[in-house]
Amino acid sequence: MARYFFIQSQDPFTEVRTATQLDLARRLTEAGNEVTLLLVQNGVSPARQGAHSDSFDALCNSEVRLLADRFSLQMREITSAQLKPGITEADVDIVIDAMLAGDKVIWN
Amino acid sequence: MKVLQVVEQGFRTLVEEQDDTILWLTRSMLGAGAQLSVLLSGHAACYAVQQRRQPKLTLGDWQQSQPAEVSRDLDALTTEGVPVYVVRDDLAERGLTNLAVRDGIEVIDRSALPGIYDAADQVWQW
Amino acid sequence: MNETRTLTFAFMDPPFESERTVTFFRLLDAALARNTNVRVFAYEGAVAQAFALQAPHGNGVHGRDTEEEAHPLTKDWIAALQRTAASKGLNFEWINCGLCVDERGVNEVIPGCGRGGPADLWRFASEAFNTLTIGTR
Repeated sequence: MARYFFIQSQDPFTEVRTATQLDLARRLTEAGNEVTLLLVQNGVSPARQGAHSDSFDALCNSEVRLLADRFSLQMREITSAQLKPGITEADVDIVIDAMLAGDKVIWN
Repeated sequence: MKVLQVVEQGFRTLVEEQDDTILWLTRSMLGAGAQLSVLLSGHAACYAVQQRRQPKLTLGDWQQSQPAEVSRDLDALTTEGVPVYVVRDDLAERGLTNLAVRDGIEVIDRSALPGIYDAADQVWQW
Repeated sequence: MNETRTLTFAFMDPPFESERTVTFFRLLDAALARNTNVRVFAYEGAVAQAFALQAPHGNGVHGRDTEEEAHPLTKDWIAALQRTAASKGLNFEWINCGLCVDERGVNEVIPGCGRGGPADLWRFASEAFNTLTIGTR
């Protein structure tokens, strides 16, 4: 089993490739890997309650650990209470921790 | 250390750089002893079925003389032993499944991606 | 025994174009905060991040002169990270792809930033504990 850490800057509303990227994250968990996905930049946009994205919402119901970058959330005035269930705020330091833990860290 | 180079952007730099800069980077790093494989996904999947050299751009009295030749660059990689994969689903989405994929390029299903990723120590998504 | 580890980052975007640039610099800052050495390989447009002739400007629409506007410049961000690294005894290395520099005519870079090529990226990655590549779009 490997650990994957995705930094998800692309969002499903403007970039259709996002659905494929999220699908890969799900497939990696199904293959027995531990997968974390940190939403950054406009990547946080589907995390707000009330946002509709089939590909992202499917991920919310998967084993993928979902985080959202605090700075990106603040820029968009999304509070922690407004995040969909299962998504937690994090700082980008967590990317460095993942790199230092030997995760495969991948920018989307 | 084995690195998987994920090339997702197609045609982004072909005119100005006269190559795909990530394929170029891949070839350049081979000389430094890099152990690399290449995954063509997204629009870069189109590279796997390219047959001709890129068109020459003309602007005013300026004419390009050395347009990119992606098929040659891919052939060079596979000839040097670099595993090159292309995602079948990305070819299908673009209506390319009836075209011949260049020799040496392995067509894989999207469901096989976890295995390709697991085989690499690092995944460099460009 | 020095257990300081090194992380390598490859970046491709030019300054003032993409939100990726901000996140990239935040990651470098976070790496130094975690007491890691940092190595950067700047590819394509990212070579202009260290361009020494970047200049701040006032902004009439904002109603501020040059000093008041204090416009962010990526060369200043790099310099700030260099100072942070130095203050902590960490290494902060920045290599620009030389061919990318030549194409763009951004040869004048701030002190501490060098020139190299793809072999340097592979060397950086091989010697680092981990590497993150941030492609452009």
